[in-house]
Order: sequence, then C-alpha cells, then structure tokens
Amino acid sequence: MDIFLEALLNIIDPVTLIYMVIGVGAGLMAGSIPGFTIAMAIVLTLPFTFSMPPAQGLATMISVLVGGLSGGLMSGILTGIPGTPSSVATTFDGFPMARNGEPGLALGIGVWSSFCGGIISAALLVLFAPQLAMVGLEFQPWDFFMLVMFALTVTASLAGEHLVKGLIAGAAGLFIRTVGEDEAVGVGRFDFGSDYLLTGFDFIAVLIGLFAFSQLLSDLRNPVTARNALSDRKQVKVKIEHRRAIGILLKNWVVVIRSALIGMFTGILPGAGGSIANILAYDQAKKAAKDDANFGKGDPRGIIAPETSNNAVEGGALTPLMALGIPGDITAAIMLGALLMHDIVPGPTFIKDEPALAYSIYIAFFLASFIMIGMQSGVLRVFVLVTRIKTYVLATVILAFATIGVFALHNSIEDIWTLFFFGILGFVMRQFGFPLAPMILGVVLGNIAELNLARALAIDADPMLFFVRPWSLFFAIVAVFSMIFPVYQKHRDTGSLLERFFSPLVLFSLSLPLFMMGGFLRTTLAVAAIAMSGFILWRRFGSKSKA
Amino acid sequence: MLASFEIREPDYGVLSPAAWPRLIIIILGALSVIYLLQSIGMPKQDQEVAPRKTIGEFILYWRNVIAVFTIFGLYLSALPYLGMLIGNILFSFILMTVLGGWNAVLMHLMVAFGASGGMWLLFTYVLEVFLPRGSLTGL
Repeated sequence: MDIFLEALLNIIDPVTLIYMVIGVGAGLMAGSIPGFTIAMAIVLTLPFTFSMPPAQGLATMISVLVGGLSGGLMSGILTGIPGTPSSVATTFDGFPMARNGEPGLALGIGVWSSFCGGIISAALLVLFAPQLAMVGLEFQPWDFFMLVMFALTVTASLAGEHLVKGLIAGAAGLFIRTVGEDEAVGVGRFDFGSDYLLTGFDFIAVLIGLFAFSQLLSDLRNPVTARNALSDRKQVKVKIEHRRAIGILLKNWVVVIRSALIGMFTGILPGAGGSIANILAYDQAKKAAKDDANFGKGDPRGIIAPETSNNAVEGGALTPLMALGIPGDITAAIMLGALLMHDIVPGPTFIKDEPALAYSIYIAFFLASFIMIGMQSGVLRVFVLVTRIKTYVLATVILAFATIGVFALHNSIEDIWTLFFFGILGFVMRQFGFPLAPMILGVVLGNIAELNLARALAIDADPMLFFVRPWSLFFAIVAVFSMIFPVYQKHRDTGSLLERFFSPLVLFSLSLPLFMMGGFLRTTLAVAAIAMSGFILWRRFGSKSKA
Repeated sequence: MLASFEIREPDYGVLSPAAWPRLIIIILGALSVIYLLQSIGMPKQDQEVAPRKTIGEFILYWRNVIAVFTIFGLYLSALPYLGMLIGNILFSFILMTVLGGWNAVLMHLMVAFGASGGMWLLFTYVLEVFLPRGSLTGL
C-alpha cells in the first residue's frame, strides 16, 4: 500500500501532471497529422525526459503514447486520411459517418472506444505483467538469448514477402550495437581510433535518425506534396457527442471487450503493433456481426473495433517490457531506452525491485486515458490549425527540434552527426523497402543478446544447451516457425503440403518443450497441443478420405 | 569483417569480443547473398525505386532530399563556428526557402526566428541545457 501511495504521489505531483497534460496534447497532435507517427513523437520526447526523475519521464512518455494512439482518429474521421497506420480501419466507417452528417458522433465513438481500450489494457497490464515476470524468473541466459532471437525473427516475419529484408534489417541493427566497448569484457570494437566510436553510437540518436529523420525526408521527397498543407479547412464546427457515444458503446460491449483483447494480444507479440491490431479487430467485428450490411457506410462497430484495439495494443506491448525487459513494439523499445537512460534495466525482477516505478507506469497509463478524454475537444481546434501548416514548414521545424533534442542527450555535436548518418541510412532503407522495426529492435536488444550469449557460454561452453533447455527450445521453435510463416501465408488455399501440415506441426513441436518444462499446467497444455494437432490432421485428411 | 580481426583478444572471458560481431557479419553476408539471388529472379518492374534515365532526372526526382542532406551537412559543419541559435535560424530559413520557394520568404524568416528562438529559450532557460555557442558569433 505504501508503495502504491508513493507511486501515486509521484504521478499526481503538479509538475508531473503538467508534463502529462502537455504530453497527451502533443501526442494527440502528432497522432492526428498524417506522416508524423506516434513512434516519432515518443522518440522526440525522449531527450526531454533525460533531466526528469524516472517516474516523471515515463509518465510523460506514456501520455504522449496514449494521446498519439487516440489522435489518429481525428484526421481519419474528419479528412478520411488516417493520422497513423493504427487508425487505418477507423476511416472505413468513421469517415462515411462524418460525411453522413454525424461527425460529432463518429468522434465521440472513437474517443470513448480509445478510452475503453486504454483502460482495459491498463487493467490487463496490471494483472498479467507480474504473472509473466514470475515465468521470466525461470529464464536463464540461454533462454534470454533465444527470446531476443525470437523477437527479431517475429518482427522480421511481419515484413511478409520481404522476410529476407526484415532479417537483414534485424542483423544490421544487432551489428550497429556492436560498435564501441563490448558488454562482457570491455574491449573496444570498430572504433578506428575515434573516442566517440569507442563509447558506441548513442542509441537514442540512432533511433531518432532511423525513425524520425528518415520519416521527415520521406515526407519531403515529393516537391509538390511537400508544399501542400494537409487540409484547406478554415475551421471545424464539431461538437463531440459524448452521451450518445457512451450509449452506443454500452450496447456494443462485446465488440469493445473482443477488440481490446485482440489489441492486447497483438501488442504482446514482438513487433506487431496497432497497425495490425486495428485491421484484425475490424475484420473480426465484421465477421461476428449478424448484420454487416452497414459496414463501410458508417457502422458504429466499425469505429469501436479499431479504436479500442489500437489503444489496447500498448498495454500489451508494455507487458513483456515490464515483465521480461523485451519490448513488444517500437514505442515500447523507446520506453526501454528511457529506462536505460536512467540506469534502470527492466527484466523479470523489475516489478519486484522497482515496485514504485512499476506502479507509477500503471497509474500514468490509467490517468493519461482520462486526460485524453478531457483534452480531445480542445485539441480538435488546434488540429485544424496545424493541418493548415505546409508540410515543409512543419518538417523543418521538427528537424531543428530533433537536432537540439539529440544534442541535449550528452551535450555532444557528434550525436547530431549520428542522427544525420542514421537518418540517411533509414531513408535509403525505407526507399528500398527494408522494414525499420527489426533494425530498431536489433539496436535496442543487441547488447542484451550478446551479454546473455557470453554469460551462457561462461557457465557452460556447450552450444547444444541453446536447443535442449525447455524455454530456449520453445523460443527457437517459435522463431523458426515465424520465419516459415510468410511462406505458409503465400501458400494458403493452394492445397500444398506446407498449408496442410503447418499448424499441426507448430502445435506438435511446441508440445515438446512444454512437456520438458513439467508441472500440471504445462503438461496439460502440451497434451492439448498434441490433441489439437491430431484433430486438425483428422479434419484435413479424415474428412477428405470420407468424401 | 576485416576490421573484426583488429579487435584485441583479451586473456580472460569465454566469448571473444570479436565472435559476436563476426557471427552477425556472417549471417548478414549469407542474407545478402539470398537477397541478391532473389533480386536477380525478381520481375524488372518491382526493382524500380526511382526513374534512372539520366543523372539530371535522378537529381530532379530527389532534389528535396539532396537539398536536406546538403543543407543539414553544411549546418552541422558550421555549428562549432555559428553556435546552435544562429545555426538553427539559418538552417531553418535556408531549408524552408529552398523547399518552399522565395514567395513566402517573410513567413520563412518569421518561422525560423520564432521556432529556433523559442526552442533555444526553452532548452537554455527551462531545461537548463547549455547549447553550443559559436566561436565566431559568441551566441
């Protein structure tokens, strides 16, 4: 109770509250401007939090995150252009509803769905993170190493057909992190006699370069669109209809819960974020609807599903971060950067060792959702003003801002050169279709992987231990199947052997480490996986032979 | 790969400091070969990133990006002499004018002074970060 009070006092401190309000406002704005992603907003906030106490810094970043996740709906509903990839599906029904003369209701449903998604996922985060951390206490260096490999391959596999590009990006990220003194014995690598390189690239400057700088360059590439403003609207006279929206949400509570769970689960998977969750939730809402004729024409369920799920994603993404020290997506990876900046290394003992900070994160998550509701109407007016600014003006100001922010990290001009170099690299990679998410995860997790590899080999030099220990085998199996998954997706509905055997093989393979782990629950899960595998095979081959 | 052979080998520790980067380089090399083979087998239209008929067309297509790279590079090189305040004002003004044209030069000037000055004040006086002063300007 004392710890909870300490955390609460940390967050309700007037200065923290002011930062949270500014953070939510900035997030709402960043989320609402197409081309300026939430990750970019978070990464630009990072340098500001350097001088703050950890709880205050994290609360500010969480506020930007919650605001950003909710900001995308404004432009999606009012202009038909999603502010972020997380709100693509919101436009399917939000924009038609606004054009049908009910923009206030559409915004109301979007805002309250975001709120519900945030609150449900915050509650699930409080519930699940400590449980997952208890599982994480079983992990040894071999398991952590394989967990990082799994995170990288899953993220790379999200590149779909471009799996090789995803893997190259992930490996390049790991390599970038090897520059400078190595984590295990402190020997300099790839420094070429430079003191700056000996300390390694500052990974926040790398993240800002890779993500923010390269994004701004992409926005400016086309000379015509760079001179355009997002919208010519002089003003928007919309009153958000809160009461009607809450009524509709209560009527569709099943959609809310289902979408929140989809968002939470997608967030837990490394690399999969709101951009996938909102489409998945929309699709499920449409499939589950008895009458889906109105979908695409302004059905409220078409706004509830994506907006609930995309806000629920972050609770999911923060769960593995807080429990295992492995971020669930890019924004959580940047949060990890914020923690490391304050010499706090998240891992299975994080919640136990830093309970006040863990509770502060929970409370900030809840509180930011309430602040978001309160600020949405006000920000709507500012949004209209911002959308009238020309892209090149906005991009130039943000670039100048990023430059000062990066300098402020260590008062070092070399960090700005790092930003510049990785900005060019990120831009070239974007142009050639390389996903940046695996690279960023590689940069963030590179030292964790190397350190655990060194620890594992110091305990026992036998490399086979990476494949015979239950948890490391579990992660190795999932990593291998995640790499095969894009090929499986390509061969779906073709009747190929891969299509027929993929799911049963995954389940059967996973049962092996589960059996090795022992205990009632895991043995039961292993038996269930084998039974399910047999059932799928029986349905595919048994029913065919009958026919 | 060659640089990895220049890494000092200490007498202690099980994992050599060069082992991890070498492993990554080998994996990167193998993936690059696979990517190269995939690219060779790919239909031609998928390989196009930008029009590449002549150097002139290439520059025209990427002119904004080249402008940002060049101006940012010059700004960084001049930063120790101009300082963050003057450097940022000049960088913002020149970049906006190059990207947006001379028609709105007054607006560019106002934004450059307002935004850069505002940020300088925020970092210097609110966040108490000492931004670099220029050896020529003293600001």
